[in-house]
Amino acid sequence: VPGGPSPSLCILADSREISSGPGVLSCLRAVHGLRVQICSLGSSDYIVSNRLAVDRLLQSELQSPGNRNRLGQRLQRLQGIFERICVVVETDRVRPGETSRFSQRTQYYDGVLSALVQAGIRILFSSCQEETAALLKDLALLEHRKDAAIQVPTEPEGHRRDILNFYLSIPNLSYAAALNLCHSFGSVTAVANSSVPALAAGARLSRARAEDLHRFLRHRFEPPALP
Amino acid sequence: PVTAGSIVVPYGHVIANEKWRGSEVAQRLQGKVRLIFEDGLGLVDFHLSNRTCILLISEADLVAGDEFKRRLVRFRNASSLRGIVIVEKTQISDQYYFGVQKFVVLELGMVLLPVANQGEASQLIIQLVSFCVREQTRPGVANPFVLRPRSRPAEPALLRALQRIPALGSAKALLLLQRFGSVQSLCNAGSSELQQVLGQSAAQQVYSF
Repeated sequence: VPGGPSPSLCILADSREISSGPGVLSCLRAVHGLRVQICSLGSSDYIVSNRLAVDRLLQSELQSPGNRNRLGQRLQRLQGIFERICVVVETDRVRPGETSRFSQRTQYYDGVLSALVQAGIRILFSSCQEETAALLKDLALLEHRKDAAIQVPTEPEGHRRDILNFYLSIPNLSYAAALNLCHSFGSVTAVANSSVPALAAGARLSRARAEDLHRFLRHRFEPPALP
Repeated sequence: PVTAGSIVVPYGHVIANEKWRGSEVAQRLQGKVRLIFEDGLGLVDFHLSNRTCILLISEADLVAGDEFKRRLVRFRNASSLRGIVIVEKTQISDQYYFGVQKFVVLELGMVLLPVANQGEASQLIIQLVSFCVREQTRPGVANPFVLRPRSRPAEPALLRALQRIPALGSAKALLLLQRFGSVQSLCNAGSSELQQVLGQSAAQQVYSF
């Protein structure tokens, strides 16, 4: 298909999206022909490339001040893990006969948008789950063009599964980076003995994040620091 | 004429393109922010700070065709300022939004925010300005979404990581860390060294891992 996604285009989706965004998942697979791997990501709803995480937020979540702290913590955590973050603000589904509860745009909502812009988080707006899927596909294509797409097998088995679990426990290492480590290095020992540039290349990480990983692997354990 | 962003915005002020004088947006902004009208801003509608500006796309612009796209591309090529595009997303222009978003956000890499009318646009601009001001006075502090670097001790994380290795619980993981110190030296330990800390079968499992 000219201009269509290549068959290798892959998106990781958090397992919670099975219940909260079934339309997104089925549309990604059926309409756009993407490979969608369901994982327990925990951090974000979707991982679109080696460096980009996407969180799907309902407009009502952004409208209610009660969510502010939780959202802030979640997005801050994501920034610790990923180079780039995008939120897709999806319009809530309105049941037939129900008028939209949020016809009045609040100052609070504008404040949240301003804060997101200022924090350098990319914002996309979607009117439904199908549109969200189309946006995810566009993002994946864009990242693919920039040579950041996830291009390693996403389902390691047996012993590799154990090794993946070990990598996933490293602080601020994304699921995509952990998969890359599994794929690029023969063993944990090879990772532990690697230089910063080798880690950056193998895990497809930025220099700064590769340095963090390097530091963690060589950190000397100090028992008193334990709570 | 394109101004490439040598505008100096006085602290807490907004500089508006002369063409907005008397408009609904300008009227609503007046009194809330200090508004200065200036001629010759070229493509930009409002300057919020020395590095942030706004391009406003009306419902009519959207319906009229691709002229606004040329304007955005000219801005993008000519200016290093951060451009925020505010677009009037109404019942009439709604159908164009998806395509516009793809163009502005994904292709041009700019920020796009939809509003329903000029009143909402002014409200949004006020919030954006207040964030610009806060950012200038106390960078990052007031923003709940900006990551504040803080250093956490690595010890609990190290202990958790080791427990992911089959055959290791918290007690054995702690023993290993006390003996070998880091993940790297643990990886390079021989199986006989491991056996000094662990039983034979656990040492073998860790070694083969």
